[in-house]
Amino acid sequence: MGTFRTSDRLAAEELFHACYPRLAGWVRRLVDDDDTAHEIASEAFTRLLARWSSLDNPQSYLYMIATNLIRDHWRKVGRERRALRAVSATVPAESVHHPAQDVDVRALIQSLPDRLRQPFLLHYYAGFPVRDVAEMLGRPEGTVKADLHHARARLRAVLGEAHG
Amino acid sequence: MDEPRDDIDTWLEERVTPLLPRPGTFDQVRKRARRRKLRQAALATAGAAVVAAGAIVVPRLVLSGHVGGSPVAVSGSTTPVHKNSPSPARPSPSDTSGPQTASATPTPAVPPVPPNFAASSVTFVSTGVGWVIGQAGTPGQCGPPDPYICTSLAATGDAGKTWRGMPAPVTGAPNGGAGVSQVRSLNGASGWAFGPQLWATHNGGQTWKRIATHAMRVTGLETVNGFAFAIWARCAGTGPDFAADCTSFSLYSSPAGQDNWTPVPGATGLSGPAGAPASAQLVLTGGPGGRGYLLGPDGTLISGALTSPARWHPVTTPQGAPAKLSCAPGPAGTDGHPLRAMLAATGPGLVLLCADRGSGDTQAKTLYYSADRGRSWNLVGEGLARGIAMSLSGTPDGPVLVATNDGIDVSVNAPGNGPLGWRAARGAAAPGGYSYVGMTSSAQGVAVPANTDLDAVWFTYDGGAHWRKSPVR
Repeated sequence: MGTFRTSDRLAAEELFHACYPRLAGWVRRLVDDDDTAHEIASEAFTRLLARWSSLDNPQSYLYMIATNLIRDHWRKVGRERRALRAVSATVPAESVHHPAQDVDVRALIQSLPDRLRQPFLLHYYAGFPVRDVAEMLGRPEGTVKADLHHARARLRAVLGEAHG
Repeated sequence: MDEPRDDIDTWLEERVTPLLPRPGTFDQVRKRARRRKLRQAALATAGAAVVAAGAIVVPRLVLSGHVGGSPVAVSGSTTPVHKNSPSPARPSPSDTSGPQTASATPTPAVPPVPPNFAASSVTFVSTGVGWVIGQAGTPGQCGPPDPYICTSLAATGDAGKTWRGMPAPVTGAPNGGAGVSQVRSLNGASGWAFGPQLWATHNGGQTWKRIATHAMRVTGLETVNGFAFAIWARCAGTGPDFAADCTSFSLYSSPAGQDNWTPVPGATGLSGPAGAPASAQLVLTGGPGGRGYLLGPDGTLISGALTSPARWHPVTTPQGAPAKLSCAPGPAGTDGHPLRAMLAATGPGLVLLCADRGSGDTQAKTLYYSADRGRSWNLVGEGLARGIAMSLSGTPDGPVLVATNDGIDVSVNAPGNGPLGWRAARGAAAPGGYSYVGMTSSAQGVAVPANTDLDAVWFTYDGGAHWRKSPVR
């Protein structure tokens, strides 16, 4: 118990090297910095490896965990920001703008309700087919398609404003 | 998703840049996962103990009121059962590992190599460890056309000195869009059987899973640096000619440990000259800075980095124009590889073999070498007339090998050092020649005979100068 068979370890290591850079890069776009991105990606892999042998689709699990960790991180940062605002008038009200981004991606995606944000992140960012997203979220495919459509419409509107 | 692509897609795709793990991250993750697993196991054991205690209390309460009744044994009802064990057995008193979970998998007995092993493809992950795929005369659950001929796999751990059987995809020989004939493995854990179907294993061949290819046929597959790349083609060939009459070719990739195949941007929907039979070939170079090269059906060369989902681009000449090779791949052989143009990595460069239609057992063959990733090519070899070319291989040191229907020819020098001289390999005497030759290292290589009835593959341990038959049995 608690140790990998050689083939499991090889497969896990292979998955790690194949997926970590993209997962961590994906997370980095959505959180504050590299450290947090590494933290979330590592935690997602830790949870994956802890359940390794009972998972049919490790990559789906990985991105679902990461999505939830990102949501938790946003909530925590939001709470901290609100607390800071309560004690200091000098703290900027808005989130820090990443210099490499011409649009505050996080703010756009954070503005989506949970119901739309999850399928959006999993489908458009992580690249899972609608069918897989539906399975991961336990929703009918048609519902996921509609959610994605609504999420796109909202983003398109905000993007239009930002560019226009 | 059926919605049209728009600038939101572009905007999203452009901005995810990979973030490499810091050194030691995998080991940290693994240790943390192990600690959690142990903690979860401890909690589960504690929970089970509480349940067991409750289970015992109830009968005792009942028995205490049953005066004069026979004693009832209850301990047997909590005996753990090995859920996936082939033969359920009670653990020995010294077994302190606790009940097996559903995740435990049985260790399969090592089966012998099935008889009459007709090898069609081979793959080596090191100089010692390799797999060979073929059709063998073992009745079983086989696919069409012949339910009594199975796709079979054999493995070696000692460079072909001995072979053992291993589980294989449950399908038959190539038959139009069905069956498999080729095999590749990245590391002995992940491997793929293909041509024309695509099957994958991620546990060293213990189990195989069919990958949906949406009516396309997989005519080539290579793996390196944690990724697998494959050529998916729309073809109409029937019977064993699964790679014949192909009209459209697309490159797909997947992280090697997964089955998440997606098209490689810039390398999809490729077609050959109108109406002409076409094929395509894939070559990957490993190590840091590894690159992939796709010899397109019209003779163009497309290249890209070996990370997914990196975009591949047509190779351009030093002047900036699209590089057009001296020959196009033409029709495919029965293994899916091109017959008129063959590409291989050798030493620090690439080598291209152009072959004409041939006459009888002779064929004009011309070799070109590129030291700049396919941007410019130099003529390095002519006069290799013997036989009809079937396969081309490079070596880490640079010399080149050509397998023909008449044997194997080895260059005496590397193409980067001027025009190539040739010698016929000794011992490469399979009647009908060889359909495939590949080098695992500069010294060691393997060749598959064109005549599969020979039930063997051939090995070299001296850079291709001498070859030795290795019966697969």
